Amino acid sequence: MNTFFRKLAWFAQRRRKEGQLAAELQFHLEEEAEDLENAGLAGDEARRAARRELGNVGLIQEDTRAAWGWPLAEQFLQDLRYAVRTILRNPGFTLVATLTLALGIGANTAIFSFLDALLMRSLPVADPESLVVLNWHSRPPQDADKQWVHVMHGVQGIAWPGGKGVMVSGMFPYGAFETLREENPVFSTLFGYFNGLKRTLAVRGQATSAGAEYVTGEYFRGLGVSPAVGRLIDSEDDRPGAAPVAVISFATSQNRFGGPSNAIGQPILVDNVPFTVIGVAPPEFFGVDPAVAPDLYLPLHASVLIDSPGAARMYGDGNFYWIEMMGRLRPGVSMAQAQAVLAPRFHQWVATTAKTDGERAKLPALILNPGAEGLGSLRRQYSKPLYVLLMMVGLILATACANIANLLLARAAARRREMAVRLSLGAGRFRVVRQLLTESVMLASLGGAFGVLFAIWGVRSLTLLLSHGQENFTLHAELNWNVLAVTAGLSVVCGLLFGLAPAIQSTRPDVIPALKDGRGGGPRRRALHALVVAQIAISFLILVAAGLFVRTLNNLHSVQLGYARENILLFSLNARQAGHRDPEIATFYADLRKRFESIPGVSSATLSQASIINAARAGQAIRGPMKIGAVNLDGARVLAAGPRFLTTMQIPILAGREIDDRDQPGSRPVAVISERLARTYFENENPVGRRITLPDEKRDLEIVGVSANLRYGGLKNEEESAMTVFVAVSQFSPDGVTYALHTAGDPLRYVKSVQEIVREADSRIPVTKVITQAAEIDGTISRELTFAKLCKGFAGLALLIACVGLYGTMSYNIARRTGEVGIRMALGAQRRTVVWMVLREVLVLAGGGLVFGIPIALGTSRFVASLLYQVKPNDSGALAAAVGIILGAALVAGYLPAYRASRIDPMVAVRHE
Amino acid sequence: MSNRTPPRIEFLQGTLDVLILRTLRPGPQHGHAIAKHIQRTSEDLLQVETGSLYPALHRLEARGWVAASWELSNKGKRARFYRLTPSGRKQLATQQSQWQSFSRAMRLILNPADQEAK
Repeated sequence: MNTFFRKLAWFAQRRRKEGQLAAELQFHLEEEAEDLENAGLAGDEARRAARRELGNVGLIQEDTRAAWGWPLAEQFLQDLRYAVRTILRNPGFTLVATLTLALGIGANTAIFSFLDALLMRSLPVADPESLVVLNWHSRPPQDADKQWVHVMHGVQGIAWPGGKGVMVSGMFPYGAFETLREENPVFSTLFGYFNGLKRTLAVRGQATSAGAEYVTGEYFRGLGVSPAVGRLIDSEDDRPGAAPVAVISFATSQNRFGGPSNAIGQPILVDNVPFTVIGVAPPEFFGVDPAVAPDLYLPLHASVLIDSPGAARMYGDGNFYWIEMMGRLRPGVSMAQAQAVLAPRFHQWVATTAKTDGERAKLPALILNPGAEGLGSLRRQYSKPLYVLLMMVGLILATACANIANLLLARAAARRREMAVRLSLGAGRFRVVRQLLTESVMLASLGGAFGVLFAIWGVRSLTLLLSHGQENFTLHAELNWNVLAVTAGLSVVCGLLFGLAPAIQSTRPDVIPALKDGRGGGPRRRALHALVVAQIAISFLILVAAGLFVRTLNNLHSVQLGYARENILLFSLNARQAGHRDPEIATFYADLRKRFESIPGVSSATLSQASIINAARAGQAIRGPMKIGAVNLDGARVLAAGPRFLTTMQIPILAGREIDDRDQPGSRPVAVISERLARTYFENENPVGRRITLPDEKRDLEIVGVSANLRYGGLKNEEESAMTVFVAVSQFSPDGVTYALHTAGDPLRYVKSVQEIVREADSRIPVTKVITQAAEIDGTISRELTFAKLCKGFAGLALLIACVGLYGTMSYNIARRTGEVGIRMALGAQRRTVVWMVLREVLVLAGGGLVFGIPIALGTSRFVASLLYQVKPNDSGALAAAVGIILGAALVAGYLPAYRASRIDPMVAVRHE
Repeated sequence: MSNRTPPRIEFLQGTLDVLILRTLRPGPQHGHAIAKHIQRTSEDLLQVETGSLYPALHRLEARGWVAASWELSNKGKRARFYRLTPSGRKQLATQQSQWQSFSRAMRLILNPADQEAK
């Protein structure tokens, strides 16, 4: 180490040492001359003899420098200087190479930074590695006859399918949390939380919508988070009857209070319930699920104040699953040990909640998962598409590299003489290769540097694309050291990749022919052609992918929804959160609808419990099976809708009437059913006047009309049946409602009028989720839209790069064959024949690319199968289109060189030879 | 150069270093004086090429066995003087004993009679 630093110090003083060495040698020379003079030689003679004796001064200096150490670094600096000069001498070449590389490296960096954010980042809390998430798995709840048999009678939250048909969930009854929390030998803390969804947050009379998270008293302590200002929720705050306190996110403190310190001690209203802000979470903290990122943290037991009285029941119900849990392992305890301790305890507890043998037969079993990355909802959603994108941009980078390798090969041919001179003057082959590689790595680094700029832009636009239609998208990619290291690595690999072949080629030891032949030449064409074929094959792959995604998008756009897409404005209100109660709330909503309908330009207005797209996600207003007589209604969806719903949504009324103003809270409950439902359960009878029985209050609904079928839950959702039961929103009074306005012209023009009307009616109610129906529908296919757009862009880019490569290669070939073409023409070849001769070569290259590309495409396209909609991975249309585009593009790229070849003047060409 | 008798011996690999170190033991010297000293002491059998002397001096300096400084020569000119460092002294001792045993071994094998005479 010591030697290293000494060398380093010397390295810095190199210039001074050069001077000293020169002085030292000069002194030697003088001494020697003096000695010789003393021995009797004349002055001049002595000096000459002394110089002769000294020998080659340059060589001595070279050898001495080597003794100073670090000759490698020395040579590297030399190479670098030389590389800079070469690069500056060919600005055109440098520009093209840098730009293509910047595009390739930038795209890779951008996509990788998303993967980094998604897969590699840990929760911003203390020691995230010791956190574990508690989940359970069990056999699916439905029996063979579709009856629900499971200890989980109700759930608030999600369950997702695990492998082999099991159901996995992170929701638990409160009793399970209490049992596991008591005297836990493996966790230092166990904490719970549940998503409080969107709440109305009023600060100084200004109401907005805010995401809330209910957390137990151990939550912040367990995560090891310290407050930015104030204090965080602790066990004292989380008990029935405690003073209502809240912790807000850093962003909320800035947006709503003008800074974290202003917020402490301030009163706020959450759904009209007063709370006091006691603290602000640190800026980087986003809760435990990167997908949620709450604005507001409330003590768990505050849910009783806000959601009363239903919430109080949840605490005592051992069959209702709602709370999520994380634990922090005690030091030295492994996750497997913790699971071994806790699983039997949970089993024992959950067995007491089973009421029948059927339930006992499939009790949930506890499993632990690593908690460091937070909950995986984003990961489940985005990692696959990002891997596919990464593969594509990787391929594009490969074509870009191939292109530069091509340019370098062509240039290497031009520099053959230079190389031959160097080699024959005694330069080691390895030394020359190293110098050429320095050049190409430097070029690549330049591309990488610009690539970072491109990546910053790319990350921004990708965030926009991926977040398509989502209010609070929390996947934030950034350029961190991980990402920059990958970029730097990519640059070096690219440089080596495209530099190695030309470097080895041009330093072949047979220097004699190169020295003799001034114009370069020699058999470089095979390497060039191989690269062009590879480029074409890669472009073909990306074209096929683009074709598949574009077809997917087209299929999705041609799906019949059964309701209007254009000219509909959607927005949501929640009057209950502002303090409105039954029965006044129904009148309040009904009056608002009438006022919206009177806005000039609005032809009709309606309301429903949720928009049609969201109704599928929000879940049903009614749990359990509905019945027609004694028959269970299987797979039907219930949507509580207001007057003129079918008219506004342009759903045809096939029989009877739609829900209208006659259907009041007190009047006879009614339903409108969809055609499919009518066909399935009433066959050819007229269902109007018949009855449907609801399970909850044994209410009977009278069927008053039949609507055409509509498709729930967006465009992709094939499993959604078209069986719908519309009930009157006034008779079911949901908390929040979504209004839909059918407008003339752009729906968003009416937002201002809507907000004025709502403010007039009740200024405490914020207007939320303002969106056009078209945008909301597109939101359900955002991934497909993104893919189609990106792939089209990528395919264009790859094709462009390949065409440039093809063009360059052909131009180079023609330039080298000027003489041959000239002779052919002198011997009577037609111009057309020459053009065809060149184009034939182009087609052979393109064909070669396809020969490799088609089998690879057939073999790999199944990897994207899950991202497609009603398109087979080996869709012949997409393949045929890609083949056509490749051949067309090849002909276009080859035509200019061909044309130029046909214009060669035989006299000039032959004389040149 | 050609008028110089007697025939010179090629340096063996690694010999120059130990000769330089040995030359510096009495005190600091500049490069030219070192070369002359080796030549003189070896009765002109060893001729130090300037082309190997200076790289060798700088190599020894890089290893920390000698240290260099600019001082006035006895003729009053600025010259770069080299002197042994403590680690150079140690190195010299090691190498010296190595060379001595090596040359003794060579002598034993090449001139067995010598040994008997002794």
